[in-house]
Amino acid sequence: MSQSTSHTTRSLAVTPSTRGFGFAVLEGEILVDWGVKPVTGDKNTGSVAKVKELLILYHPARFILEDAESSRRAARICALHAELVRVAKEHQVRVIVLTRTRVRRRFFADGEGTKHELALQLAERYPEELKLRLPPKRRLWMSEDYRMGIFDAVALGLAGQQPKRGPVPRG
Amino acid sequence: MSSSHLPNYVRAERKRLALSQAEVAFLLGAESGAKVCRYERFAREPGLRTALAYEVIFHKPVRELFAGLYATTEQEVATRAKTLTAKAERLKPNRQSIHKRATLAAIINQPVHRS
Repeated sequence: MSQSTSHTTRSLAVTPSTRGFGFAVLEGEILVDWGVKPVTGDKNTGSVAKVKELLILYHPARFILEDAESSRRAARICALHAELVRVAKEHQVRVIVLTRTRVRRRFFADGEGTKHELALQLAERYPEELKLRLPPKRRLWMSEDYRMGIFDAVALGLAGQQPKRGPVPRG
Repeated sequence: MSSSHLPNYVRAERKRLALSQAEVAFLLGAESGAKVCRYERFAREPGLRTALAYEVIFHKPVRELFAGLYATTEQEVATRAKTLTAKAERLKPNRQSIHKRATLAAIINQPVHRS
């Protein structure tokens, strides 16, 4: 926040999950809003309504999603992605779809790393915003922590930034 | 629209400090978190006392917390300053009117920033 963000592009990154979706709003590399929106009942309809609210509130220039088909997501998530792309275009927001590989390459030199390692990197980069939200390392018998949606969305948002010249500011 | 500032950044600051809307409302002296929610959704602009209370809570200047609002105000004042400059130019040039014009020029040329 303390860095000047005039003329930086605002992006909204959304990562749908079983409970709803994680989201992150970034201005350049500065986090403006982040969280998880839980949705009950008809999850796709609920998620679309909540994403619309975010689009109206933040007027992002870019809407960033992960490529659902390349990362073998459920049919519901694929349908939701298609609907979200339609909604974003309706709001005249540029849609950016990134593959999982491209997101990983942004954070790991060899493009290989676990979700937890990625979350640790982000918690270190944004200690005030994300450190308290870092979930414990998932064990084999545990399902994914809902808070991981925030980290996925922040990673997606950062990966969707235009490549910058010069030193990358720390968040 | 998207590359301009948001009216305010109080939600981000509140989340950074891990405070709830109800807790911020209490610190602001408001009755409930609903008012804080309206500020955070840009549905309502706070009064001067509330804005200053935000500065106290978040340790950030008001113009930084309410960057969009500040930028709008800055532009409005600059527009008025242009009107006043036009009036000042009709005055007989003396030390006072020269100083006045310089003051108005500084207001007009103030860059929109959020530092």
